[in-house]
Amino acid sequence: MAKKATRTNVDNSARVANQGETLVKVDNIRMHFPIQSGLIASLLNKGHIPAVKAVDGVSFEIRRGEVFGLAGESGSGKSTIGRVVLNLYEPTSGKVTFDGIDLSKLSAEEMRLLRSRMQIVFQDPLASLNPRMSLGAAIEDPAAIHMPELTSDERREKVLSIFHEVGMNPPEAYYDLFPHQISGGQRQRVVLARALVTHPELIVADEPIAMADVSVRSILLDLMMQMKKEFDLTYLFITHDLATAKYICDRIGILYLGKMCELGEVNEVYSHPLHPYTQALMAAVPVPDPKQRRTEKMPEGEIPNPINPPSGCHFHPRCPLAQEICSQQEPPLRELRPGHQVACHFAEQFLPKK
Amino acid sequence: MSYQNENPISSPPEGVSWEAELKKVGFLRRILMGRKWYKVDWWFVVISSFAVLGFIIVAIAPGLFAPYKPDVLVGPRFLAPNEIPQTSVLIVPADSGITELKDLAVPENAARPQIGVVSGFSTAGDLNTQSQVIDEELKNGTSGLRLRPKISRYASLDELLTALKNNEINAAVLISTEFDQVKNKYPTLREANTLTGESVVTHGFPLGTNDIGQDILSRMIWGTRIALIIGFSSALISLFIGVPLGLFAGFAGGGFDRVLSLVMDSLYSFPGLILAIAIAAVLGPSIMNIIVAISVLYIPTYYRIVRGQTLTVKEEVYIEAAKSIGARKNEILWRYIFPNVIPSVAIIFSVNVADAILTGAGLSFLGLGLPPTIADWGIDLARGQRFIQTAWWMITFPGMAIMLVVLSFTLLGEGLTEIFNPKLRDR
Amino acid sequence: MSDNILYSIKNMTVEYKTRAGIVRAVDNVSLDIQRGEILGLVGESGCGKSTFGKALMRLHDGPARISAGELWFDGRDLMSLPIDQMPQIRGAEIGMVFQDPMTSLNPVQSIMDHLTETILAHEPDSSEASAKIRANELVEKLGIRHERLKEYPHQMSGGMRQRVMIALALALRAKLVIADEPTTSLDVIVEAKFLDLLKELQQEFGLTILLITHNIGVVAEVCDRVAVMYAAKMAEVGTTADVFANPKHPYTQGLLKSVPNIKLDEEELFKMKGEPPNLLKPPSGCRFHPRCPFAMDVCFNEEPPFEQVAKDQMASCWLYSEKAKGKKLEAHHG
Repeated sequence: MAKKATRTNVDNSARVANQGETLVKVDNIRMHFPIQSGLIASLLNKGHIPAVKAVDGVSFEIRRGEVFGLAGESGSGKSTIGRVVLNLYEPTSGKVTFDGIDLSKLSAEEMRLLRSRMQIVFQDPLASLNPRMSLGAAIEDPAAIHMPELTSDERREKVLSIFHEVGMNPPEAYYDLFPHQISGGQRQRVVLARALVTHPELIVADEPIAMADVSVRSILLDLMMQMKKEFDLTYLFITHDLATAKYICDRIGILYLGKMCELGEVNEVYSHPLHPYTQALMAAVPVPDPKQRRTEKMPEGEIPNPINPPSGCHFHPRCPLAQEICSQQEPPLRELRPGHQVACHFAEQFLPKK
Repeated sequence: MSYQNENPISSPPEGVSWEAELKKVGFLRRILMGRKWYKVDWWFVVISSFAVLGFIIVAIAPGLFAPYKPDVLVGPRFLAPNEIPQTSVLIVPADSGITELKDLAVPENAARPQIGVVSGFSTAGDLNTQSQVIDEELKNGTSGLRLRPKISRYASLDELLTALKNNEINAAVLISTEFDQVKNKYPTLREANTLTGESVVTHGFPLGTNDIGQDILSRMIWGTRIALIIGFSSALISLFIGVPLGLFAGFAGGGFDRVLSLVMDSLYSFPGLILAIAIAAVLGPSIMNIIVAISVLYIPTYYRIVRGQTLTVKEEVYIEAAKSIGARKNEILWRYIFPNVIPSVAIIFSVNVADAILTGAGLSFLGLGLPPTIADWGIDLARGQRFIQTAWWMITFPGMAIMLVVLSFTLLGEGLTEIFNPKLRDR
Repeated sequence: MSDNILYSIKNMTVEYKTRAGIVRAVDNVSLDIQRGEILGLVGESGCGKSTFGKALMRLHDGPARISAGELWFDGRDLMSLPIDQMPQIRGAEIGMVFQDPMTSLNPVQSIMDHLTETILAHEPDSSEASAKIRANELVEKLGIRHERLKEYPHQMSGGMRQRVMIALALALRAKLVIADEPTTSLDVIVEAKFLDLLKELQQEFGLTILLITHNIGVVAEVCDRVAVMYAAKMAEVGTTADVFANPKHPYTQGLLKSVPNIKLDEEELFKMKGEPPNLLKPPSGCRFHPRCPFAMDVCFNEEPPFEQVAKDQMASCWLYSEKAKGKKLEAHHG
């Protein structure tokens, strides 16, 4: 059943009523970025163009009303997936479905209109705001694009109320300011406000607090959760910080070099990590308590080049448990505990004994 | 989620950055404060702004500033700056009613007028020549009057003038400056016109006169208008064509971009003046054609700069953000890319005007541009070339005018570049 | 000065001239760095920690200058030395590791060349051969494989480059290494390995390290003592154990409560109100008072002194100061 892309957003009661149903379905997407090589090099390679395999076969679902986390280090593909979900990048293969709508089947205009229902908050708030547009104009723009029925006064009212929602008071004071005139924390609020103005259903947050001051981060996280309640949002929360992910996410997917290693409820995954990489990652996170210093040893080596990832399981060269099969066969994502999936041939050994 | 403490709502920035502080201060004070930060560049910009403003005002209303219209023959030719022309002038008794030499003509058989000169000067010769000219006229006319004066020579100026005072002669011919010196001793005598019938010019011209007797200062002032018209018009045309092309090429990319860049690079690599000459020669002399020729020259400059900036800005995160909110391509181009590309254009514009004025002067210097009836610095330069040793002022002052205007616009543009690049250098 | 203090900084102030006035990026800060310790200097952006770190080598960005202070490094006041003697000290006695090593490594020099050249520059009497041997040994110690020595900076990963920076500092047998946000741009597993390396170097070479970071988790993992800076001033200094178990300064308390801990199941993180202040016009009295839940009248009026508040802890807060007793201790409203 293909639902036609509707410009009108699903209203709050419908969202709440459909809590838990699948909002976004990511189906085996790959994102390969071809590398520009010279004529001679490509001839030598017999027409095979080398590519950065940023995302190499990832599938998952995001359910309405949840905060779904995507965590990983550099090269994991998490930011790329965030953009593929919004169709800012067209996947090399695979399919993304939003509320039942196959994004690849939409025309450019239909996709553009669908964007009112899905928004993104970028990592660097200063870079993501047009330096020559006042804050008020920047926030008003999505409203002007997607809500042509509003008069300009109504739009301004909407902008002022959103300023108030994200805690920038008095709103009129901020309307005419420019991005470089406010602090970093305030900028992140503005970027969030811009994402909220069309009342979207999904917000992709790409490292939203990474560039904020430490003492401000908890405030921003709290604000995001407030907004989630107020607007009945669903978040795709992309981060490299597993401590933050644990605090704010409901479910989480761990990525390594373009593939999903582990996927499940946050409480499950954090208390029983089944993939060796997940275990290493969680152990590596610095703990702000000197009584709990890390004792675990870290895996050897570094993250390999995504142009030529290792064969079979991408993690096998660094994995302390690697066996021959790991270099030959890619492990599929298997559900080993309810709602908890792992992609490892030998994950069973980590299951808690009954 | 419960709240542990009060909801921390951030209050508006109370002077959180000095920018906010600055806004409270008046615009004028901000300009003055700029002096501390930019030092030399500030002076460049301020001085050249005043100069440019001055030139623009002069160009708008040259009549307010120029003592004469540019093509009026104001006096003798080749007058040096401030040189008072020395002409032979007729001196007559104050009550005689004679205004010019012609007035001394008498009927054929009447007594011939007696005119005195100081011996040894060229005045006698001038008198003779002019009398003959007038006489020829009278002979062919119907008045029946003739002018065949008797010339008396005196040894000194005093003797000549005393004789005139005593009515021994009808009139005297002197060099005008000579009479000025002794005027007070002979209150009964006065100056009439020059021998050719014109009023005596008793003052010099500040910048001298040219080879046909026009006032150079006036021509300089009137020339400002043409220079600025050519400069601004061609710069504006180049801008209105080059900027959108650069924007579209940078934004759209692909075949369009490649073809256009090829064309622009070819134009760009042509030596400017030669291209302008070629176009002007083909189109023919007129102001519009000069403007067109010069505009073509600068389109590639705007194109390249704008295209380069567009390519850079296109990769910025806020452009991706604009796409993500669903902005149309048009909106992204004009509301997001264009405002961030414009500052570089404004700066090129000033230098462009300077260069256009220079090129325009060059073209008219070569005789390729304007009809010679229009007052223009280039034309004056060409005229003055031949006389550079004898009448240096003919070429020097138009040259200085060009230099000053070009310098002002260039300084303004360069000064602004220093101040506005890099953007937000104050952080 | 007692023998176990390697570097004693007294009352340092670093000023910048900006268009709107003078900014004190570091304002009357004192700190003692003990021999052989890893001391963490923690604070948020704009608190002055990076400026402080650079000033320890009398390095600063253009318009800044060290306007006051004594820098007693290993018995000598560096401030009394003529500035042209500082290059000898930098590298050879105090090494620095920056956040982004790409900009501090010469892109056209191989790593081996970097190391040998640096050694030879500071010790012109060594032969090239002996310099190469030392470079090799070091590199092995730091976990860089020999084959990689021929590589150029752009061919190496971030973690590798940071190790090269440390190797450079060690090559000259520096007594103190100042590491300014060395792991901020690194992935978390590489960061963990790097922190392990720092601990090894401390144990094996007796290296003293000043680790400047905004990440208090890193400080807890690896530092013996910690110094907390806020708004160009020193808020608190103490052993890591004491400061984390009993933070004295309200800023430290708030900071520790607002950072998520992966080992805990936290329902709620503390939200510190307000934002770090503008250093052009810092708040009067104690700079933290607008954000402090315990602010009193005296905090608004007078800056608290930086003094001992527990056995091994120093802090600048009126809550602990003897001098505050006797002043009005009413809660500050508004």
